[in-house]
This record gives sequence, structure tokens and C-alpha cells, in this order.
Amino acid sequence: MMPQDGDSHTDQEIRRYQEKVSKGENRQASLERLGWLFATKARISFDPGYYKQAAACGDVLESDSPGCPESLLLRGYVFENLHRFKDAEPLARTLVSKRGQSFDYGLLGDSLMEQGRLDEAVDAYQHMVDLRPDLQSYSRVSYIRWLKGETQGAIQMMEAAMDASSQNDPDSAAWVATRLALLQFQSGEKDEARQAVAAALLLRPNYPPALLLRGRMLLAEDKADEAVAALETAAKANPLPEYQWTLAEGLRAAGREPEAAAVEARLRVTGAANDPRTFALYLATRGEDTATAVRLAETEMQQRQDIFTQDALAWALTAAGHAGEALPHSKLALAEGTEDGRLFFHAAVIAHRAGQDDQSQKWVNRAAGCVQTLLPSERKQFLELTKIFPPATKPGSQSPLTNDLTASNLESVK
Amino acid sequence: MKIPKQTLQCLAAGLAVTGLALPALASSHMDAPLIILDPAANTCDVYAFVSADTNGVQYLTTALTVYPFEEPGIGPNAYNFDPNVLYQINVSLGKDVAAGKPSLSYNFQFKTAYKNTGTILQSYLGVIQNVGDAAQNLTQTYTVTKVDNRPTSRIRETVLGTGIVPPNNQGIATPLYNQGNDGNNPAQDGVATADQLDTYTTESIAQLHSGYVAFCGQRDDGFYGDINAVFDLLQLRNPGKDVQAGFNVHAIVLNIPLSELGGTQQIVGVYATTSRRSVTVLNPAVQREGQPNFGGQWVQVGRQGNPLFCEALVGIADKDRYNETSPSVDAALFKKYALTPELCHLLNVIVFQANVAPETNRTDIAGIFIPDLIKVDLSTGPCRLAGGGPNDDADPDDAGFSRLGIFGGDVLTSSVQVGFGDGEVPGGWPNGRRFGDDVIDIAVTALSSDLRVSPPIINGPYGDNVDTNDMAYNKVFPYESTPQNGRNHMHAP
Repeated sequence: MMPQDGDSHTDQEIRRYQEKVSKGENRQASLERLGWLFATKARISFDPGYYKQAAACGDVLESDSPGCPESLLLRGYVFENLHRFKDAEPLARTLVSKRGQSFDYGLLGDSLMEQGRLDEAVDAYQHMVDLRPDLQSYSRVSYIRWLKGETQGAIQMMEAAMDASSQNDPDSAAWVATRLALLQFQSGEKDEARQAVAAALLLRPNYPPALLLRGRMLLAEDKADEAVAALETAAKANPLPEYQWTLAEGLRAAGREPEAAAVEARLRVTGAANDPRTFALYLATRGEDTATAVRLAETEMQQRQDIFTQDALAWALTAAGHAGEALPHSKLALAEGTEDGRLFFHAAVIAHRAGQDDQSQKWVNRAAGCVQTLLPSERKQFLELTKIFPPATKPGSQSPLTNDLTASNLESVK
Repeated sequence: MKIPKQTLQCLAAGLAVTGLALPALASSHMDAPLIILDPAANTCDVYAFVSADTNGVQYLTTALTVYPFEEPGIGPNAYNFDPNVLYQINVSLGKDVAAGKPSLSYNFQFKTAYKNTGTILQSYLGVIQNVGDAAQNLTQTYTVTKVDNRPTSRIRETVLGTGIVPPNNQGIATPLYNQGNDGNNPAQDGVATADQLDTYTTESIAQLHSGYVAFCGQRDDGFYGDINAVFDLLQLRNPGKDVQAGFNVHAIVLNIPLSELGGTQQIVGVYATTSRRSVTVLNPAVQREGQPNFGGQWVQVGRQGNPLFCEALVGIADKDRYNETSPSVDAALFKKYALTPELCHLLNVIVFQANVAPETNRTDIAGIFIPDLIKVDLSTGPCRLAGGGPNDDADPDDAGFSRLGIFGGDVLTSSVQVGFGDGEVPGGWPNGRRFGDDVIDIAVTALSSDLRVSPPIINGPYGDNVDTNDMAYNKVFPYESTPQNGRNHMHAP
């Protein structure tokens, strides 16, 4: 085992526990701790290679004590972060039946949710929050409420999670603040969202998810130059498709086309490996290599069947000229009632291309309420669609997504 | 050795919910119990002692502190009581003491309001002259409810009243907490009489129904000790370092008239809990009406009785379980830790390098901690109080007060128990717990001694070489010291 490089507290702790493990000192506890330290390093560094090392610790634990809860939880967590949700589920179910602690239900709920089995996930999360109401359980309740269309209830729960956060765990606190800001952004609560992002960045300066969201919010306000500054920092720290795509959009909106093209070139090299679902969305939105987009989305569907994977496949199929095939996946993507601008935008386009204009009008109306969450190129496509299906704006009659599709913000994407 | 990202498939994208930090998703074998990650509900200390006011009315004074290592000054995060947390001070009477059951629970529930939400000035809109004035933007109020859990009780819940939380001590915005009423100066030290208390504290003392008195607000952390050295393989140093120096806590202090508890001729037990609400994950009614849902059963997430029990005696594997359970299960689940304290073994091996502390069959230690209630003999009359030390002219310790309690000769006389003979009982912890009790030194001395025999074999006193708090205590309600000034305070070097 190569000693860990780096000077951060986590790096030092990894080295300390590597030494303990190599000396056989309190072997099981040291291995478990080392595994979680590697997982921590993976999460805060956005370097997924550390998950493999965490998994190796879990494998040794399992070899030493087959079926021990410590091994099950560590391996299950790593599986989820490797997107091996079907592999995580049986480990979580064993944990629940053997031990039934709050985390065990959390792990089970996460694996079920990613597989699109929301009703079962709700049950698991209910057990979790009944056993221990805290940041972990509140934030999961928030997320699943949002998936189920309860956006205001989701915001309330994420605020409760924020109240239950600690400076002893700034990573979780920053993550919760960012998720809260995202919910508020989607709901059109701009000032609150800005404050929550600022809070996240105070907790963890240059926290990539918060910078990404700040960039998206600035793009929605047509402040491309400011957005690029945030997005460049975020994408440098976390060079994933979602970050690179947003950065490219920002650069293009700022008139920096060559730089946008360079970012996209890098995205094309690594996107399929790092995050195939988002890369599929990117390709389909750009209308490029749509066959690859379909293939990636179909492959992803083998791992998880949640609404966003359904949407990605529907969007890729539509881009590839198969809107009819896309329709059932689009319906599944919308079936839970999730209030998400991109889902609505995709649904409007898919319905239109499938010849279901009444449905297209319906989803245009819904997307118009949250157009601020779309990237500039998506807003541009949406604007084109509104020329055919002008959104019915009835002030006060929309969902909590209250952002108006005003002439000025549509002009900004022309 | 890192694995190149390009060789990984489907690894890098973050997940919606598992972007959370690991300690809270890890097993209970981690270094820290879960409650450490929830400071608003994290109980620091519980105090319970007999006091009297200037009219001679006797009280069981109880206090619960939360927010360990609360850095004075707001910074990015304001420290406030959490309206989503139920704070409870529990009192056991009669047979409930041995059973570890709460006869009475005093519930504190908070509300937060802002005078102006259209500003970034969350807490202070200007210099606060009076608690709750126009300059105090964020203002918390609370309701105290007495819950009588006894099966014979006819009235289960009684609202005792409400109170207001004073501002945190920021500095310029809160000058009246500080020396010379100047926000640039350090906080005022403790005082000996009520008329010497600072304005904010005085204005926040709530007189409740039936003679109860309450205070809720920021205070200096009155716990002192070199816990860094204690938990650093017991490598004690001299002088020790008061690790809590310069930090605040949030305190809930309640004076309970002894008449409300059935009089003085008894021993009662005190512990505190914190709970958070569960929620219904999805509520069809909510979805129909578009209204958020946040109301479910209270679930206990924190517990505290005697000092150091969970921290220094209970094994890591059971620490979270301790926080989530009632003292009524202590005999079944946690007595083993008191009967065979690992700390005795560690003291013998590391500190004494000899068999000084009896390591097994510590029925004396179990008698203190099981069930984990602070037992208070109400028959002794008021205890001696700490001020700023024996030589503090303005706020001296009461004559005979010793931080070491019985190990320092500070004893009281009981009329309901023989104690160590002729009713002699400790003047401080473990007979109650006062502000100023040196609980680390008392605990180490007790563990190193043998209290099972008569007369007891006392070894020591031993301790961590931190013998006093960094601020003087108040000798009047609410007893805990003035909160440290966010602008001017000092931690131990």
C-alpha cells in the first residue's frame, strides 16, 4: 500500500491509518476507518479513484469477517458511489435485517431511489427519519419530496437539515446549503438562493457544487462574465460533464467561442466515462453523435431507472429521430410530478416531435414557469418552441416555479 | 496510489443524496458519536443543585447547556436555539429515581422571529440597549411546559410561561454585557448579587407561574478542563490547559421551587434530553393542499446526566445508543461500563503505572452513574456556590466551597440518608452538580479511590491541573457566567 500523498487533514489521517493497518494494529477498526477516509477523500477531492481504495478496504473487512455490518455499510456506500445500485441494494437489505440502524435504511433508500423505485425508497426513508431525525434523514426526505413534486415541503426539510448541520462537518453543511439553494433557484426564490449559495461557500470556500450553481444562477441573470469566473473554478476542481457543459455554455454566452470549444473538446474525451447520463444529455441537446447518446443512456438504464435516466433516454432517442420511442420514457420521467424545468422542456419538445401538440403546449406552460433553470442553449431551443406554442401565463396560477417567461429574459437568449 | 480517472466507468458523477459527508453515514465505530454533528441538540453539561433566593425560597436549580465549543461572535453561522429541537430537563422523584424514569419533564420550545428580513443584518440592526428592542433583529422566545409523567397525575401538561432570549454577545452591538458597558472590552465577570447583573441578563430572567424562574441564552462555558490531554492518551501536563476557555455555550437554566417537587425530604434525579421531530416523508394531504409538512413524533437524539459518563466511560460502540435511550435502560445496557471502567485500567497503566484504581466490581461508581441521573439530596439546604475564587473580593466563593467537593472537605448534612456517616454527603458533584465543580478531578479521584468500604480509601486528589474556569461565575441566578465577547475574548494559549 503506497503511503498517501498530501498535507490535508484527511491525507494525514489516511497515512496514519495506513500505518496502523500495515502494522496490524487494531486491524478491523483501522481498516474500517481507512476505508471511510478513502471515501471521504473521494468525495471532497472529486477523485473517484479513491472509491476503489475504499472498496479494497471493504473487501478485506469482508474477507476477515464475512457479513459484518462494518463491511456491508462501507461496501454498500462505495457501490452506490460507483453507481452500482443493484449491487448496493442487497447489502443494504442485509444491514437492515441484521441491524436496522438509521444509516442502513438510508443506504437502502438511496439504492432504491436511484433505481426508480420511489415508493419503496419512501418507506426506507420513513424508517430512517423515524429512527433518527437529523441532517442525513431530513435531506433525504427533502430530496424525495422534491422528486414527488412537493417543492415547498422539500425546501422546508432542507432548511431543517441546515439547522441540524454542524461546523464539525462543513462538507455536509455546504452540501445541504447548496441543495437548499438549488431548490430555491428552481422555485424562483432568487434572493434566498443567493444567500444559501453564499452560506455554502463560507462553509467550504470554492466548493464546486456551490460555484456551479452560482454560475447557473448568474447565467440565468444574463451575467455571463461573472458566471464564467465561478464556473471555471468549479470545473477545474471537478472536471465532470455537468461542470464542463455549463462552463462551455457560459463561455459561449460571454462570446468566448474558442474557449468554449476547447472545453467541449475535453468533455468529449472524458464525458462518457465520467458521467454517461449527463454526457448523453449534452450530446442530444447539441444534436451531435446522437447514436452514442442513445447508447450511453440505454447503458445507464441498466444501472438505474430513475426519472432522470428515463428523461435522458427519452431526450437522446428524440435527438436521434425516434420521438415515438421516446414518449413512454418521457411519461415515466414525468410520472412522479417532479418540478424540474429541464424535464418539462424535454417533454414539450418530445411531445411536439411525436405529434402530440396538446401535450407539448401543456409542458411548454410548465417549463415557462422555471425557464431560469435551463442553460442558455436550452433556453434558446425553448424559445423557438414557444413561437409555436406560446406559453399561457396566468399570474398566480402556476406552480411554485414562479419565474415568468418574460420578453426580456427570452430576449437574453437570442 | 490513485487510479487514473479515465480507467473508471460511471464513477465520477455525484449522486443526489450521497453527496453527504461520511462521518454521519459511517458506522458508530467512528471517532465521534452522531450527536457531535448536531450541535444545536448536542448537550454539553447538566447542572443540578439546591439554591435559595434572597427571600429564603429554596429551589432545585437545573441547567442544560448545548453547542459545545461555541465560538463567540457570529461569523458565518449564528448560534441560536433550534426551534426544531425539543429541549427537556427531566426530574425523577421517589421510586422513579432508581428506575431512571422522568417523573416531571420541563419542555423548552423556541420560536425565532425577525423584525426585518429585508436586510443582511441577521442579528443586530444597531446597538441593543434592551432585550428585544428595535435593534435586536433576530429574536427568540420560548415556552416552558411542565409535563407530569406520573400515572397518578391529573393534569398532564401545564404551561408555566414564556421568556425571551437575550442577544448573543457580539461586541459593539451588545455593549452592556461587557466591562464598562463597552463592546470593545472583555465580558463582565461574574457577580455576587442580582443587582450587579448586566442589563441583558436581568431583562431575560423570566418569572414563571408557580414560582419557577427561567433563563435561556448564551453564556460562557463554565466547564473547565484539559480534555485534550485527557483524550490524548491521558498524557496530562502541568499546568494543564483549559480547552474550553474563551468559548460560549447556550444555556437553559430553570429554578424549580422545592415545594413543586414535594418538599425537601428526598433525593431527586436530574437529566436532560434533546429531541428532533420525525416527519412524514410524503403526505397526500400536503400534496393536495400544497402546504409543507413538518410535524411528527419527537425522537430523542441527545442525553446528558452526570458529567463524563458517556464521554469517558461508555464504549464507542454504545455512545450513540446512550444518546437515544432513556436512563431506565442504563442498568441493562450501560452498567457494565461503570462496574468495570476502562478508564481505571488506563489510569493504572498510563498515569500511575501501578494498581491504584480498582478496576473491577466498582459498585461505588455504578452507584453514581446508574441510572445516569444527577442525584441531588434536597434535604441539605442550599449548597456553597462558586464565584471568582476565594480571593475575588467582589465575587468570592462561598466560605467552604471547594471545587473538589467532598474530596476538598466541602460537605453538607443530609436528613434523609446516612451518607458517609451522620448524614455527611458531598457538597458538590456527585451530590448534585454545581457551576465550578471540578468534575474531571473529582471523577479521576473517585475512580482512583475505593468508595465501597467504610471508611472509604481516598487516593489523590488527582486531576488534569486545570483548577478554575476562565471567568468567575455568578452567585445568583442564572449562575453561569456572562457570555464571552465575540470581539474580545481569549482562548487558552
